[in-house]
Amino acid sequence: MCKENKIRLFLVDDDALYLKMLEIELLHNENFILETFPTGEICIANLFKKPDVIILDYYLDSSDKNAMNGIEVLDEIKSINPDIPVVMLSSQDKIEVAVNCMHHNAFDYIVKSETAFIRLIKAISTITHIKKTEKALNWYMDVTSK
Amino acid sequence: MDRIKSFQSLYARGLIEASRDPLVTISPEGKITDMNDAFANVTGMSRIELKDTDFFDYFTEPQKAREVYQEVFAKGYVADSPLTLRHKEGKLTDVLFNGSVYKDDSGHVIGVVIVARDITEQKKLTTELTEAMVFAELATGLAQDAKIKAENATMIAESAVKSKQQFLSNMSHEIRTPMNAIIGFTKVLLKTELTAKQKEYLMAIKLSGDALIVLINDILDLAKVDSGKMIFEQVPFKMITSLSAMLHLFESKINEKNLKLIKEYDSKIPAIVVGDPVRLHQIIINLVSNAVKFTNKGKITISVRLISEDEDSVKVRFSVSDTGIGVPENKIEKIFENFQQASSGTSRLYGGSGLGLAIVKQLVEAQGGSINVKSKMGEGSVFSFDLNFLKTKTEMGREPEMEELIGDLKNIRVLVVEDISLNQLLMKTLLDDFGFECEIAENGRVAIEKVKNKSFSIILMDLQMPEMNGFEATAYIRNTLQSNIPIIALTADVTTVDLAKCKAVGMNDYIAKPVDERLLYNKIIVAVRKSMPKGVPKTDEREESLNLKCTDLDYLNRRTKSNPALMMEMISLYLDQTPNLVTTMKQSLKDKDWKSLYSAVHKLIPSFSIMGINPNFENMAKKVQEYASTQQQKDGILDMVLQLEAVCNQACEELKVELTSIKNVDYV
Repeated sequence: MCKENKIRLFLVDDDALYLKMLEIELLHNENFILETFPTGEICIANLFKKPDVIILDYYLDSSDKNAMNGIEVLDEIKSINPDIPVVMLSSQDKIEVAVNCMHHNAFDYIVKSETAFIRLIKAISTITHIKKTEKALNWYMDVTSK
Repeated sequence: MDRIKSFQSLYARGLIEASRDPLVTISPEGKITDMNDAFANVTGMSRIELKDTDFFDYFTEPQKAREVYQEVFAKGYVADSPLTLRHKEGKLTDVLFNGSVYKDDSGHVIGVVIVARDITEQKKLTTELTEAMVFAELATGLAQDAKIKAENATMIAESAVKSKQQFLSNMSHEIRTPMNAIIGFTKVLLKTELTAKQKEYLMAIKLSGDALIVLINDILDLAKVDSGKMIFEQVPFKMITSLSAMLHLFESKINEKNLKLIKEYDSKIPAIVVGDPVRLHQIIINLVSNAVKFTNKGKITISVRLISEDEDSVKVRFSVSDTGIGVPENKIEKIFENFQQASSGTSRLYGGSGLGLAIVKQLVEAQGGSINVKSKMGEGSVFSFDLNFLKTKTEMGREPEMEELIGDLKNIRVLVVEDISLNQLLMKTLLDDFGFECEIAENGRVAIEKVKNKSFSIILMDLQMPEMNGFEATAYIRNTLQSNIPIIALTADVTTVDLAKCKAVGMNDYIAKPVDERLLYNKIIVAVRKSMPKGVPKTDEREESLNLKCTDLDYLNRRTKSNPALMMEMISLYLDQTPNLVTTMKQSLKDKDWKSLYSAVHKLIPSFSIMGINPNFENMAKKVQEYASTQQQKDGILDMVLQLEAVCNQACEELKVELTSIKNVDYV
């Protein structure tokens, strides 16, 4: 029951400092179950845990040039489970980057700035709202079709 | 009886004939009955011809003559009636017609005696007089015209001189601003990686620029003295320190030319005198730089001697002698004129604007002194001048203009208030070079906000700015914020009026643009040192370092709700990650590995705001990142990377301390 209500969040960033900051920020919300990953690869390996939302850094290959970058990880996640909403985080305030992310089916694109955390929480609540609505819709569909 | 009568008659006749005025007697019918020689001469006729002819025919206006004649009969006389007699050959004689009737014994009128007074001479004189008067008037008029013209010419000439000066002064002022930028950015460029050729060309630009600035400043100074705008300060100063600090400027030049500099200072001169140290410097700088310029071997001697002393003042003789090329005797007067050197060849050989000595002369004379030159070709010259200084009993209120370089002070935060972005960048570059932290405010209002929210060591304040100028901002900081943070005015034009205003609103000092690096450094150090609270030096230092920390854990405190465990975690992460990133950043810039540079800086960017480091560094990091991705606009990248390194290192140091202190609290 309690597991039903809680939202499982995956946080992925190779910037340990920022990742920690993100974690601290989201910890305040008791509804979140947080898991942090320093790379996309580890995140993908943990997809079986069925996260509700993934927060994914755009620029993941900064320290390890062989690492998957954000877009590659996004594509991989979508190919494994297209229903998991992925919110992209980036420090680049560039329209092309944002558009590119949306093309790759990201749920949202958030620039790392002072307002990033607030917008992130907003995005997560939007996602949960949509999920609920979808669930309700599905239930009705089920009922009516029966 | 008859004999007497006839004698009398002869006598009368003689008198009549002797008269030079024409005399004539006329019958009541108008016929001439008798006349004298004068009348015959005037008409050009003989007496016989004239007798019994019509009197009126001899006048140019017979009718008028007849009327006058009738008047005589009517009134018995007529006086001074003007008429004109005609000579038979046409010559006219102006006469005044006087006449009276004469009667026989029984009282019957038997004729008229007419005396026509010849007034030709009189008339001529009158005409001449009138003419003379007319001429005189004309001449006066001409003279007045000439005077007016001359006055106009003088006025035109004067205003031409004035407008020439005004023009030069304005132009110089206008040229100075862009010149500052040119020289400043050349300096910035010189600090970047350059090929030898590029460096050489840039040095040429810089040298020419410096020369031009000197010329422009000279022109401005001359214009000021000429127009009487140069006002001399009367401030107490320590002459010996002030002079010897200034002479340091020449050390490198003098060493370079392998010359000897000898200073002779009279110890009898009071330690502190009242005068204008800035102008004194200017005079001596000009003389010494001339001496250095024109001397290729030997020595330059600067001597300062007490000449006389009374209760209130001292007279000091300054002399600068060299063993240089000397000045030919016939040129000695000339070298003090504007744009003159002893020969046109010398300027080609030795450079210089030729304004230096003109300024020296003006500055010395404006202070009531006079300048002397003794020179021998090929042996050297001696320039000397005497100036009076007032004595004072007051102790030095302020430090001399130039301070000997003193030890480094750390953690100086400078707020630069300046509206022109070029100047902002220049100041920033300079201050970065000194290792000072620097923040920019684009006008007085912004500056006040910054001062309210942050502590600075010193403010460099431009005077002319939009929104709120330097005077207003300073007044606000002093009066409303009650802050006595040192404020140094940055001013393009050092007129004494402005300086008085600077002092009045409570500025501590001023510095003229283009800013001399060394002077700026000295002034900042002096001002900051003075402003430090006095007391035990140890606490002093601690206070300073507390104020001047680059990190601020306020943000982290708020985000973690002051959870020490989380704080420690964050700080540890920062300490783990940052040094590597900094190393990568520096190395990759060196290797031109743009991708790594990009990554490293990219990762650094969020950390600045998390640790409360000045957003300027974050912006700097963003610029470096931008550069890493485009490789364009290399300006100052290396510099920025070095600054980022410095601030990150400092942050790490501070955070280590912070970490232990959090740990300690935890244990307690």
